[in-house]
Amino acid sequence: MNLNKRWIFTGILCAVCGTAAAFDFGALKDKVNAELPKQLPPVIPQLPQPIPQVVPPQIQQQVIQQLPVNPAIVSVVKEVAGPTQEEEIAIGHQIAGNLLGAAPLVKDAKLQQYVNRVGAWVASQSERPELPWHFGVIETNDINAFAAPGGYIFVTLGLYRQLQNEAELAGVLGHEVGHVIRQHHLKILQQSKLLEAGSKALTSQTGNNDAVQKIIGSGAEIVSRSLDKDAEFEADRIGVVLSARSGYDAYGLPGVLQQIGHSAKDEGSVALLFKTHPHPDERLDKISVAMGARFDKIKGETLAKRFYRVK
Amino acid sequence: MSVMKQCMAASLGMLIHAMAFAGEPGVALKVDQIRAEPFGDAKVTGALKAGDKVDILRKEGGWFEVKVAKSKGWVRMLSIRKGDAKKGGNEAAGLLSVASGRAGTGKVVASTGIRGLSEEELKAASFNAEELKLAESYAVNRAQAQQFATDGKLVARPIDYLPAVK
Ligand SMILES: [Zn+2]
Repeated sequence: MNLNKRWIFTGILCAVCGTAAAFDFGALKDKVNAELPKQLPPVIPQLPQPIPQVVPPQIQQQVIQQLPVNPAIVSVVKEVAGPTQEEEIAIGHQIAGNLLGAAPLVKDAKLQQYVNRVGAWVASQSERPELPWHFGVIETNDINAFAAPGGYIFVTLGLYRQLQNEAELAGVLGHEVGHVIRQHHLKILQQSKLLEAGSKALTSQTGNNDAVQKIIGSGAEIVSRSLDKDAEFEADRIGVVLSARSGYDAYGLPGVLQQIGHSAKDEGSVALLFKTHPHPDERLDKISVAMGARFDKIKGETLAKRFYRVK
Repeated sequence: MSVMKQCMAASLGMLIHAMAFAGEPGVALKVDQIRAEPFGDAKVTGALKAGDKVDILRKEGGWFEVKVAKSKGWVRMLSIRKGDAKKGGNEAAGLLSVASGRAGTGKVVASTGIRGLSEEELKAASFNAEELKLAESYAVNRAQAQQFATDGKLVARPIDYLPAVK
């Protein structure tokens, strides 16, 4: 079966499970491999291969023939739609490397260690504690924070300087953790570039990965793309809940939003943030309604004393 | 140091702390009640209506202690927007215009000459392997994260995710 047929095949599956986002990302082949380990040659991840070599035609044919009559196959397809965790991390790795090409880390090891501790603790309260979480503060006066798939999260020095305590940092990191665990950026990629690029074997490598770069577009442009507003509100709610779960004052993130909305209205330092996110006032309004009085009895720590202040 | 002196030192500390916040202006975003203490079931001592000017004295959890024309008390932090009402000539309508998408239309103009992260820069960025390696070297494992939490007396607790609001 050639590549074209493969996409038609994928299209049929999409139609059957009724979701436009459910196309192959290489995971299906893994699933098939896992189920038929002895009949299939091992996948060599370092060499992006044309798909027909990975899944023998007779297997695909078999799946197609069974599809209309076997609901179990449909549920398998739903389950495996989307990238594997390894692919997700490889994509994030590439984006993170590019972002650091635009703005390097602040050269303050204590700061970076501190942010990683807070971030790792907050992320450990999410449903994806096993991801290789990485946090960093990058050298720019811009007020912003970025998340890349697989657990790479960066806060700008400009935003870090606005923070008053550890609970606020936890809230900001929690918002970004929310983007990662709900795969918000990954979903954007799934809707666009991946279809063009096709499914290739993506792996985490230490260096630059051309196959992944093709998927994410140019440089770290993906982090400057706007997500759906609802995705941002969802990330805010997750940020609040994860910080509260972690033992912090739940009002850290709302406090930051309040500060940003107030102090940096028309400044260039928030241009990108305001372009890619709903206005802080609107976010505050939404989170205020979502939180209601739920956190009245849930006290938490702000840890203003422990908060690492940059020189 | 005597207990008395300790007390005085403590209240002086609190005074200084409060002073750091004194005078930070805010505006009520919506109708809300002013309470005697920072709790939802504390006694109601007054009320705010949208647009009322307040002075934010301090913050505790999700509450601001505010001073308004006649009274002083605690109000939900999220009912207040920071900043003064003057700037808010358009701010009174701020929330509405934001909701209608004004903030998303690129009206915020980037000033030139400020070192920032523009879309162009992000687009043109090339992979920095060395810097990424450095970033990854700071990774913290779960045991270290737990230790850090314990050091800060942070105790994990189960809390459900919040449902979306319409
Ligand atoms: Zn966001």
